[in-house]
Amino acid sequence: MSYSESFRDHIAHPRNAGELPDANAIAEETNPVCGDRLRLSLSIRDGRIETARFLAYGCPATLACGSGLAEMLEGMKVEDALHLTRKEIVSAVGGLPTRKQHAAALAIETLRAAIESKEIATVRAADDE
Amino acid sequence: MRRVYLDHSATTPPDPGVIEAMLPYLTEKFGNASSVHLWGQEARAAVDRARRQVARLISARANEIVLTSGGTEANSLAIRGVCEAAASHGQHIITSTIEHPSVRGAIDAFEKQGWEVTRLPVYDDGIVRTEDVRAALREDTVLVSVMLANNEIGTIQPIAEIGAVIRAARDVGHRHLSFHTDAVQAAGRIPIEVESLGVDLLSLSGHKIYAPKGAGALYLRRGVRLVPQQIGGHQERERRAGTESVANIVAFGAAAELAQNEKDARNEHTRGLRDRFESEVAARIDEITFNGDRERRLPHLSNISFRFIEGEGLLIHLDMQGVAVSTGSACSSGTLEPSPVILALGRAEELARGAIRFSFGKDNTEDDVNYVVEALVHAVTSLRHLSPLSRQTAAVT
Repeated sequence: MSYSESFRDHIAHPRNAGELPDANAIAEETNPVCGDRLRLSLSIRDGRIETARFLAYGCPATLACGSGLAEMLEGMKVEDALHLTRKEIVSAVGGLPTRKQHAAALAIETLRAAIESKEIATVRAADDE
Repeated sequence: MRRVYLDHSATTPPDPGVIEAMLPYLTEKFGNASSVHLWGQEARAAVDRARRQVARLISARANEIVLTSGGTEANSLAIRGVCEAAASHGQHIITSTIEHPSVRGAIDAFEKQGWEVTRLPVYDDGIVRTEDVRAALREDTVLVSVMLANNEIGTIQPIAEIGAVIRAARDVGHRHLSFHTDAVQAAGRIPIEVESLGVDLLSLSGHKIYAPKGAGALYLRRGVRLVPQQIGGHQERERRAGTESVANIVAFGAAAELAQNEKDARNEHTRGLRDRFESEVAARIDEITFNGDRERRLPHLSNISFRFIEGEGLLIHLDMQGVAVSTGSACSSGTLEPSPVILALGRAEELARGAIRFSFGKDNTEDDVNYVVEALVHAVTSLRHLSPLSRQTAAVT
């Protein structure tokens, strides 16, 4: 199987790898079948993702999608992030073979879970006030 | 960028002498070995010479060698041929849990047809126990197929001991029992003598011993009954129909002779490189597990699981640094298929996912080892830096 230059570059030089100490939106999702994991930590201010970091365990497609996602998220409005599609993730990493498309699905799932975690936290904070 | 090939268990680079030997049979000596004219005779003589060279590698007689297209065909011919011939006497097969897919697949197909299969465990060292074979033997067992050396972890199975058990069973009236071993990985790397192994059938492949892909062989002990799988021609004494791939067969023969002559030197060379590689990796990288018995294994092979990371990621990282290795696990369409061989050792799924095979060859150098160790340290460090698993563990310890 051959991967694109862009894909290989994400593997060799992952963008935004790591964990944000001051994140206010965090999620870690696992693909229950293959065990791949993606962890996303975001710093969201005024409806916009200021910073994004990822950690990933699994096949190269999962690592590349984590990197591609974290890179494209920075500066993006939360509203737009919620509308990101699998196809956009796949194209951000220069394409994926059919049998690796699930990696992009895990990326979208983790992104939505992270944003949701922020919303839940915000609602709870409002309830506390 | 430097390139280092450490995947000799997948295939070997054809030896220049081997290529030189085959070239005339791709050009002026193009005859069909079945033709009676001069061109045909030339090709026939070359095929017969190669057959003798292959036979010598395993101390067999030339007329016990059935030339095939490769190891998979040899395994398939052995298993299907013997089982079909013996089906009326029994429908039970004994094999191990770590066989090559070509053996596994052929046996699984019989199971689907209603045959019974006993798959012997290999314990945490990757080695079948002879007493387990003895205990599994039944009156209706017609085939025992256990590989000589494993393709992923290199463990060498006690084939001579199992062969003695099979002979003893035959001596007490178990006439329809055959013993097959897949020696594709072992050939040219450890000495093989079919008599002392006590096998009836043994599979070989040319491209694992520095010949090009396209030729292999099945050793078929005289007297063993086998139903041909390819029919409609007199080639290979009616045991395998089809025009011989003369050039590939010549190359296989030349490679077999070379392997026979250089076996000890290759052995010593690859063992030296492999052992230094392993000790350096152990000194530089923590949280690793060596897979398979470290004594009873092929001299050229090392299989290591790296915790917290997945094999395919490591493979690509190394590939980007010019280093070729392989992994037995595959993640496909969201379904993980961890290496059945590593799982058979009782390893956790995470370790099976992070297993990498490094297989050295006659042309690798000490500098190759140095380069690969550095590339590996870099790759493992990068991937662990990304892994939520290693970070969580680090936080706990």
